[in-house]
Amino acid sequence: MIKFRNVWKIYKLDGGIEYQALKGVNLEIKEGEFVSITGPSGSGKSTLMHLIGLLDKPTKGEIFINGKKVTYLKDDQLSTLRNEFVGFVFQQFNLIPKLNVLENILLPTIYARKKLKYDPKKKALDLLKKFGLGGKERSYPNKISGGQQQRVAILRALIMEPKLILADEPTGNLDSKTGVEIMNLLKALNEKEGITVVLVTHEADIAAYGKRMIRIKDGKITKS
Amino acid sequence: MNYIFFVVKAALEDFRRNKTRTFLTSLGILIGVFAVVMLTALQLGLKKYINDQFAALGKSTLFVVPGKILSGGSFNATSALASIKFDNRDLLSLKRLKEIKEISPIFSKQTTAKSEKKSEDSTILFASEAFFDINGFKIQKGRFFDKTDIDKKAKVVVLGPKIAEKLFGTIEAAIDQKVAANSVNFTVIGITESKGGGGFGGPDYDSYMFAPYTAGFIFNPAKNYSRFTIKFDESYSVFQVKEAIKKELLKRYDEDSFSIIEPGDILSAVNSIFGVLNIVLVAIASISLLVGGIGIMNIMFVTVSDKTKEIGVRRAIGARKKDILVQFIIESTILSIFGGFLGLFLSFIGTLIVQKFFPAYIDTSSVILALGVSSAIGIIFGVLPAKKAADLEPVEAIRYE
Repeated sequence: MIKFRNVWKIYKLDGGIEYQALKGVNLEIKEGEFVSITGPSGSGKSTLMHLIGLLDKPTKGEIFINGKKVTYLKDDQLSTLRNEFVGFVFQQFNLIPKLNVLENILLPTIYARKKLKYDPKKKALDLLKKFGLGGKERSYPNKISGGQQQRVAILRALIMEPKLILADEPTGNLDSKTGVEIMNLLKALNEKEGITVVLVTHEADIAAYGKRMIRIKDGKITKS
Repeated sequence: MNYIFFVVKAALEDFRRNKTRTFLTSLGILIGVFAVVMLTALQLGLKKYINDQFAALGKSTLFVVPGKILSGGSFNATSALASIKFDNRDLLSLKRLKEIKEISPIFSKQTTAKSEKKSEDSTILFASEAFFDINGFKIQKGRFFDKTDIDKKAKVVVLGPKIAEKLFGTIEAAIDQKVAANSVNFTVIGITESKGGGGFGGPDYDSYMFAPYTAGFIFNPAKNYSRFTIKFDESYSVFQVKEAIKKELLKRYDEDSFSIIEPGDILSAVNSIFGVLNIVLVAIASISLLVGGIGIMNIMFVTVSDKTKEIGVRRAIGARKKDILVQFIIESTILSIFGGFLGLFLSFIGTLIVQKFFPAYIDTSSVILALGVSSAIGIIFGVLPAKKAADLEPVEAIRYE
């Protein structure tokens, strides 16, 4: 589903110094996988995640999604792909504070270019009920707990029925009990719904939820 | 549609959470809109008042005055000073013209009018009996002076209602009383109905006294007239009448020493002054609206910085550059229209207050203009900050803390 072929990411720093964040990465993630990407800070795992999430472009090399080369797509096309293909879950939840829970979940649908096959509002309400957030649809993000916020963020990622969920340290801002709940949720989505999950974390016990581990160090994959 | 709802709702929620900032930002627009709507209301009121006054004169009225007063639609003050003086010969020769139905010579004198009890500063205007008809006066009590009074040089006077009340307490008490102007006694024979207004745009006829011009020669031994007021036969065109008068007067005077004025000429001269006034108003308003617009731009740049992370999140979940651009332009436009509405609301209140002593009014075009201009400012001054927001790299924005 996702394929990296000799991908380099080089940042130009002040004074003409180059910083190589990724040095010729090759990797493949198949549909239905649960992959953990781990590595120490500064290893390049954030850069890797931004490339998988189509938020950034590689300096060299090629990225394929479903066999289609996405490296040189235009900004609008990348936006559409992010909208339809990827669901993001962030460490800081990143809900929009002035929109209520329901509106936050519906946000990706207002940017949708394709005609949705379902009523987004009905789907959002169903999801809320299913994930134990029934009755919270009119609440604002600052009025619910961290665990609830992260669940809302996961529902926002699910509303467009993506093939891929990209979770960047999803438990980093949660206590360990809530963290476990969130991880079990992601695991269930992978096992029951068949959604591909790519998890980026530096915590070994969280990474252990993945069925495959990709370890990255100094911009190179050391184990996959 | 759904998209617009989301953007508007988010913007309004933002403003609700930052009430002070929102109000201060829209203050510039508020003041600009208030200034332009309020000043336009005053100007429109004044203009309407003057136009109404002229409308009372009727179409078939002309003035003949010494000097070249009006040239090309504007007043020419210098040539109005050095001028000829009309006399009885001119009156008789103009009276003979078949085009002229009625004519009144006019001259006036500033005086202190004295009744038995009181004295008041006033103007006494000497004219013929035709003056009242030409100027659309109506009698309230008693009568106007007539041809016989003119022929007899009768020392009778018709008072405006204001001066009558000031001198005699009530209008009823004034009839048959004596008024002294510069020690010459006049008998009050009538009181006119109010012509209204005064103070601006024309003479305050309610405070005038009117007497036969033949009686006024006591004060004017040279028997000069300062102008003629004419009502002409409507079967002739204004042009024909003016040509006939001109031809008659050219026998004695050269072309530059007199003017034949239609009320419309004066009106267009007044209106051209209003035109200039309007430009000044627009300039003042433009400056304050410009300042207001810059204020909005400034705050929008701050807002874009504040929302960098949010922009990153929106980009990550699928917003295109265009979506971000529209979001911020809508936000600045709402801000600006909000200021516009407040300014409009204040000028409505202001106009209601001013109306107690000035004929100000707000017309729909200034409302439309005010709201149109404020939304245009929101869009124009919102473009740069919105462009900055749209051009943020998604990865940079989402990393922003």
